[in-house]
Amino acid sequence: MTLLFSGLFLIGLGALAAWLLEGRSRASGALFQVLAVAGCALGGGAAVRVLLGTPAVQIRYHAQVLGGDWVWGLDALSAAFALAVFVVGAAAAVFGVAYLAAETRHRRVGASHAFVGLLIVAMALVVTARAAIPFLIAWEAMALSAYFLVVFDDTQAGVRRAGLIYLVATHTGTLALLALFALWGGRSGSFEFDRMMAADLSGALPSVLFGLALVGFGVKAGFVPLHFWLPEAHPAAPTHVSALMSGLMIKTGVYGLLRVITMLPGAVAPWWGWTLLLLGLASGVLGVLWAMVQHDLKRLLAYHSIENIGIILMGVGLGTLGMAYGRPPLAVLGFSAAVLHSVNHALFKSLLFFGAGAVARATGTREIERLGGLARRMPVTWIAFLIGSAAIVGLPPLNGFVGEWLLYNGLFSSALSPAATPVRFAVWGAAGLALIGALALACFAKVGGVVFLGHPRSPHGREAREVGPGFLAPMIALAILCVVMGLFPYAAVGLAWPAGALVAGLSPGSAAQIGFHAILGLRALWLFTLAIPAVAVLLWVLRALLLRRRAVARGPTWACGYAATTPRMQYTGSSFVAPLVAAYRGVVGLEVRRAPGSFTTEPIDRVLEHVLLPAWRAVLDVSARVRTLQHGRLNLYLVYMLVTLLALLVWLYAAGTGAGIRP
Amino acid sequence: MSSALASLAVVLLVAPVLPGLIARTKAILTGRRGQPVLQLYSDLGRLLRKGAVYGTATTWMFALAPVVVLATVLCAALLLPLDGRAALIRFSGDAVAFAYVLALGRMALVLGAMDTGSSFEAMGASREATVASFAEPALFLALVVLAVLTQSLSLSGMLGSRLVPGVEGFRMAAAAPFALVAVTLFIVLLAETARVPVDDPATHLELTMIHEVMILDHSGPDLAFLLYAGAVKLALFGSILVGVVVPRASLAPWLALGLLVGGLVVVAVLIGVIESVTARLRLTRVPQLLVAAATLAALGVILVLR
Repeated sequence: MTLLFSGLFLIGLGALAAWLLEGRSRASGALFQVLAVAGCALGGGAAVRVLLGTPAVQIRYHAQVLGGDWVWGLDALSAAFALAVFVVGAAAAVFGVAYLAAETRHRRVGASHAFVGLLIVAMALVVTARAAIPFLIAWEAMALSAYFLVVFDDTQAGVRRAGLIYLVATHTGTLALLALFALWGGRSGSFEFDRMMAADLSGALPSVLFGLALVGFGVKAGFVPLHFWLPEAHPAAPTHVSALMSGLMIKTGVYGLLRVITMLPGAVAPWWGWTLLLLGLASGVLGVLWAMVQHDLKRLLAYHSIENIGIILMGVGLGTLGMAYGRPPLAVLGFSAAVLHSVNHALFKSLLFFGAGAVARATGTREIERLGGLARRMPVTWIAFLIGSAAIVGLPPLNGFVGEWLLYNGLFSSALSPAATPVRFAVWGAAGLALIGALALACFAKVGGVVFLGHPRSPHGREAREVGPGFLAPMIALAILCVVMGLFPYAAVGLAWPAGALVAGLSPGSAAQIGFHAILGLRALWLFTLAIPAVAVLLWVLRALLLRRRAVARGPTWACGYAATTPRMQYTGSSFVAPLVAAYRGVVGLEVRRAPGSFTTEPIDRVLEHVLLPAWRAVLDVSARVRTLQHGRLNLYLVYMLVTLLALLVWLYAAGTGAGIRP
Repeated sequence: MSSALASLAVVLLVAPVLPGLIARTKAILTGRRGQPVLQLYSDLGRLLRKGAVYGTATTWMFALAPVVVLATVLCAALLLPLDGRAALIRFSGDAVAFAYVLALGRMALVLGAMDTGSSFEAMGASREATVASFAEPALFLALVVLAVLTQSLSLSGMLGSRLVPGVEGFRMAAAAPFALVAVTLFIVLLAETARVPVDDPATHLELTMIHEVMILDHSGPDLAFLLYAGAVKLALFGSILVGVVVPRASLAPWLALGLLVGGLVVVAVLIGVIESVTARLRLTRVPQLLVAAATLAALGVILVLR
């Protein structure tokens, strides 16, 4: 714990330095980078130690305020999430300084760095808090620093709107969490997680608690239909903040759900699992379908976060089902798949956001249809983005595959349960996951193909230059992590397995027993993941040998005999996904606008535009009508009071219950 | 182990015969003489000895695509129990790895096509991605049925034994799901290997192609890699089908291998017959066919979960 807190202290110091040295931007930026990376290294070290088997630790601070002692602890579940926070946090801190260095018209760059530091510290505290009060304080610190980071570019109306939507959403979630902890703490007589866990909860209370957690943490996690703030807020923020939010902050919602399930081991009901599984499935399919039709690169990535939260939630759901139906292997498989995919998604999603930020900085636009041919101008960014794309689609031999393979294993083995156990029906999730994966492949083929390959479609792309080392270093580091975790599935699964066993309520010894079969298979999987690059390299060498003494020429691309093609004639991203949009017409939410001589499509969020905003407008309508009563004139208000008083007297008299004041 | 290696070698060796068999079947049924059955071997030999031409827009992605496609198909072959017993590499959930490694090849092929900057190739890429998104759930539903029926999470357990009357451990109740799975897998095979009615490899109009237009700009060894990978992929999906329908685990290795080769020949002839008697579906109809295939497999899942 000392290691962890000294790390947090260093990050805080870096944030303070960035704030105070505002004027000298370059020096403060460099200082912030160094302190943040050093702090993240220390914190990450603490997490790795726990993951390698050091017993879980706790510290206790005797708080002289309401709510009892403040407790922090680092167990396998906290450590897995904390590790992701520190790795991605360090990358984002480095990237952010390079990204905002180009920001000349804005003077609050230092403050923005300070909030990044605060956000990282707050997230680390959220995943390590072991009592309700410090948890909620860290939670709010996280939510608010994210708000100030989102509205960095507050001169734009769209950014202010996004910030407002985010603020409303996050506080709706916090409200549910307050109710959750108040109910639970009230029943157990303590706000410490250990005592809350030991509390004797009976009847419907656990299910009520779970429902509150589902809403409270669900808004933060951003699964359908609570996702509406996410595609607004994430693209509006500066890129490294998008990475922190999409890669990490939404995972604190997943962490919260897992922690609550950990704390209610005996009370888990089947309907929790089915709800989670179905929400995950809906989130995954809808998220990727909505992502496909986006024209804005960062918005597209934000929708993919919804998809991946869906995949993670399917894991949580499967684990919960395993617990509810008394099948520990399923529980461990589901939960560890959820944890592993959370960590994986943190890595590749921030990598992809960094890539999108690099593209936006180099070209000045995020519009997919205006880009093209960037692979030649920005080769390193392209390779990093390609690795991130393949990882997020779940392709071997990258980390995304290991997580999805674990989840598939869980879903398939649910079907092998004895007959007459309803948990077998979870196997339908496997077909859903296959659909999600194939759609994600189409979507990232579109992004990679349209943004980076072919010819530039506008001057934006033609003059692009590769970004500097401050951009590239974090991207390269994250890409390497994606590859390493994919090539060594043993390490990747080992990272998540103890956390999965912890949530499933198993002691470490028995978890190893259950994991034995899967781990046995892991060695063959490892062989397989190594075989893919090995065979590819052999074939590449063979190809080079075959072409060595042959004529290799360059010529124009075959255009069906037509000689005067222009870059504008290339297939666009919208055309690329058109067949899929046609097949899923009803759900994608693409608004087509036709005018003489023009044709545009505008992706809209169905939940926000068709449900929430109309509902909000209805509330405003009703309020406007009530408002006619308010004139601001004192005499009128006195009349209201008099009328109310008289009405009450008449009512009391008529009811005959006002014994004391009967005239 | 040795029988698995020998089977792999034989399958990789005879795979190029299959496209020739399909073409010959079509030629006979349509009253033509047709190309030699072994045509693809000489094509491959010729292409491997040639140089290559690359489009001016292309980058290393275009050159990498054929290598990745062939590598992924070869790696996928490691996961199939070609000798009817066990694959060279087998683990829990290797069926998922089989589908996903082929998806890696698909991603490379699609990006390679987009790299040319040509609308035609991107059109093919878009269609390939679309068709795959409908074929994949069907394939997984079929795998679920096989997993439940054989109580195994590995392809080596799923394909092979206990599936046909007369074999030890056979249950009559399993017959219907198996029939459904076989039909689904055959349709998935047609989609994955770009055959009629999903795609027509013999079409001459770029606008209507899927797979062919994606490899339009490849030449020399690159094209040879892609053609060979296509033939091997056909053999792999054919082997899955044979594995489902013909139990070979208890047979002598040489007999099991012989049955596999015989089965592949039957599959090729069957594809040839289908290509002769049916027309290609309209592109907007293709999803319907694949959804129907998925529905059959889903019915199988319901039957085995009941």
